[in-house]
Formats: sequence, C-alpha cells, structure tokens
Amino acid sequence: MMMHATFFKKLVVAVLLLSPPCAVYAAHGASPLKVVEEIKVDAPLEKVWSVVDDFAHPISALSIERIEISGNNAPDQAERRLFLKDGLMITEMLTKRDGERFMIGVHRKTDNIQLLPAVNYTSLITLRSLDQDHTVVEWKARFYRGYPNNNPPPELNDDVAVMAVKKLIIGELAALKKHIEKPVGQ
Amino acid sequence: MIRQTLCSVIFLFILFFSNSILADEAFITAQNGQSLDIIDLASMTKRLSVPIAGKPAGVALSKDGRRVFVTSPEGHFITIVESKAGGIEKKIPINGGPLGVVVSPSGERLYVTDFYDDMLVEIDLNTQKQRYLPIGSKPAGLALTPDGQTLLVAARDDNQIIFVDPQRFRKIDQLVVGRHPYGVTIDAAGQRAYVANVESDTVSVINLASRQVIAQLKVESHPYGIALASGRIFVSNQHSESLSVFDAKDLTPVATVKVGDYPEGICASIDGAIVYVANWFSNELWAIDAVTLKVRAKTATSDGPRAFGLFVAPAL
Repeated sequence: MMMHATFFKKLVVAVLLLSPPCAVYAAHGASPLKVVEEIKVDAPLEKVWSVVDDFAHPISALSIERIEISGNNAPDQAERRLFLKDGLMITEMLTKRDGERFMIGVHRKTDNIQLLPAVNYTSLITLRSLDQDHTVVEWKARFYRGYPNNNPPPELNDDVAVMAVKKLIIGELAALKKHIEKPVGQ
Repeated sequence: MIRQTLCSVIFLFILFFSNSILADEAFITAQNGQSLDIIDLASMTKRLSVPIAGKPAGVALSKDGRRVFVTSPEGHFITIVESKAGGIEKKIPINGGPLGVVVSPSGERLYVTDFYDDMLVEIDLNTQKQRYLPIGSKPAGLALTPDGQTLLVAARDDNQIIFVDPQRFRKIDQLVVGRHPYGVTIDAAGQRAYVANVESDTVSVINLASRQVIAQLKVESHPYGIALASGRIFVSNQHSESLSVFDAKDLTPVATVKVGDYPEGICASIDGAIVYVANWFSNELWAIDAVTLKVRAKTATSDGPRAFGLFVAPAL
C-alpha cells in the first residue's frame, strides 16, 4: 500500500513537471498560502504608481526576453505573455486596478512548478505614501503549494511554496526600487 | 448597606443582560496562523486563541454552543474543542483532507467533506465509528436542513450540489448549479438553499422541496460564503473585498458593502442583527449591521482567518 502511494505521488509529480502550463485556476489543495512583503521606495507615490500601474511594461527581476500584450489594458481582459531567456513562458492577467487605493491585482494563469513550486498564484500590489518623497510598496500574494493532493512530497510542500514565493517577491520589489530610484540619464 | 445592595443588583442586572443579549461568541479558524480564535462579539475582543495544527479551515458548533468542531485538512483530523475554556477534548483522525463540517441537530453525528479523497464522512460521536460515502469531485461546503433530514454537499469540481439522506447515508439526488460551488447555506425554515459558485460569480438559489434552482443571483468576483440575516442574503466576494446583499424574499439586490481583503467565512449573529465576516488576507473579523449595512466594529484575528462554516454561538 505504501509502495503504491509513493509510486502514485512520484507519478503525479512527473506529470506536473512534464505537462504544459495549465489553464486558469488549476487543481489545488485545501489550504491557501500567503506571503506579504514590502519595500520603501525613495520616490513620490505618483511616480511609483505610474510604473506599477503600467501592466504592459512590467519591471521584473526575471530574465524577460520579450513580452506580448493583449486585451486593452483593462482588468479581467489584459494579459501579458512573458517570454523568458530560458525558453519558458508566463501568462499573467490583470485582475484588478484600483486608482483610489493605488492597487493592482495580477493573476498568473500558467502554473509551472519548474519555475515556481506554487500554483494559482495571485498578487495584490498596493502603494502607500509615507511623505512627499517616499512610498511603501506592499506586495501580497495568495497561492497554493505545487502539489495539489494529500501528503505532498517534501519538494512540493507548503513551506517550499512559501519560501519560493517570498524569494520571488523580494526580488521583484528590489528590481522595482532599483528601477525607480536610478538617477536620470542612466 | 441598602445602597450597596442596590448597586450590586444593578451590576448583576447589567452583567446578566449584557451576557444574555449581546454576548455571542465567534470561533474563527486561522488557517495560516494554525489556531482557533474565540472572540467575544459584544466587545469584539479575542478571548482565547487555541493552537490547532494541520491548517484548520472548517468549523461547526453544537447547538448548545459547548463544543466546537474544527477540521484540519493538512493534519487529517478533526479537533473537538470545549468552547468555554478552550480545552481540547478529542482529536479524531480522518483518512484524507477534512474541510467542511456540520453537526446533526442532536449533536450526535458529524458530517465532514474530505476534499482530497472526494468523500463524505459521517462520524458517530458516541461510538467514534466512521462511514465514508463517495460524493463527487472536490467536496467543499455542506449544510443540513434544520430538521436534520436532508444534507446538501457542494461537489466543487463537478459543479453540482449532491442531496444526501443522512439517516440512510445515501445520495438521493444531484443538481447542476454554477461553476465551482463552494459555500452552502440553508434558511431557518428549511425551504431554500443558497450556493456560492466561485468561478461563475453567482449564487444559486435552490428550492429544497422541488430540488430545483429557482434563481441565479449575480454577485461580485469569486463568491465564497453566504449568511442569512434580517431578511437578507449576504455573500462574501473574495476577489472584490465586498459583500453582495440581496432581499431574501424577492431576491432583488440591495447593496454592495466594502469589507476587508479576501472575505471568506461569513455568519449571522444569533438574533440576525449583525453579520460577521472573516477577511483572510487582512486578518480581521468585521461586524456589519444587517439593517443599516454600516460597519459596526472590526477586530484583529490570527493569520489567515478562514472560518468556513457556522461559526457564531451564544456565550455560555
């Protein structure tokens, strides 16, 4: 019985690794996970918002080679396909844009556990003005572990998913800060 | 002396009534923080936080409010908590991933959805015996009619509500609702059921006598749970930070109320005057006046309040 369970698990992991990125809201477990990170950017809120709100031109730490855009820049329509240098592709949808709260929502439609051991990954990015020259960018993500069933293997459990998303977000926030704060002309 | 006695009487009077009229309690499962928060709803303060492992999600209360039943999908067990002192009475192992939970009116049996193994589980609380019934793909929310004669289970990935006869522990019917039904609520008269369809942004209204969908209510993005209070239907919309409110009689929309981030579990106060909603992302419980729709109070919870089930009980 144990052999069967282990074999089944390995089979599921193999299928997850080999299958093409799946459609919206793929199978997932019973326990949503969250990560919240923030960074202070030395720039006024309007300037940070103009960058964060530009869904078609994401500032990212990922090695993006080119981007394809569709859907009018409107929530629940706009999509961006990020083609990465290593041949992988990520499709993300704009799910929310709230100009009053300075918040956007982005949902990753393509789950790929080689890239990120988490599925159904959605981000909410919100800005908060500290003073005239400083803005806090808060990045909240909701997702599930990469293994959708019971008793996940250690490489696809909740802790691995949380650590990977945390690393991703910290990288993205740092890239954003660097981009916005770089001196004019560089 | 007389004055002192009078003061004591008045004090006791206030204490008695403040307890009996106002003091419902909420039992909030914090899935990420891995605890059960017990919140005094009169003062909107956390009275206790009971550590519970295994990512607790579902919650149900015995009719007398003395026992709390909590599901831990990742721990594969149910925890029975004594509601007053927060002591752990028992841990019941379950094969797969227990998610939704309801108690029979007699308090003798639990019905639990096993999200990972696609089962409905019946637990006899006297004998500890368990029965498993294959129920459909990814069973989530469930609800019992007040007479305990009919059980409705949302088979999420089958887009169906399954009707179960709890006595015979058998499927008796099934009904297609919307895409990904999740939370299920039945009214006090046992006439209607309401089902939140996460992916179609609708609530299906079911006539329980005819077992037909009589209306599909359009709500905001990703509805999760439903509460019934003061003749109204309240729906928590996860992605819209809002509650959609409808008149329960003619099913017309009343208003949309802004709440915290990722509202999930939602439940009415015992008297139906207030609706409580757990906001998963912002870690808060909000109290909304069911009549004026104003936010009456907010309180912080442990991390990731899910509160999936009927989580309000009268204080003991």
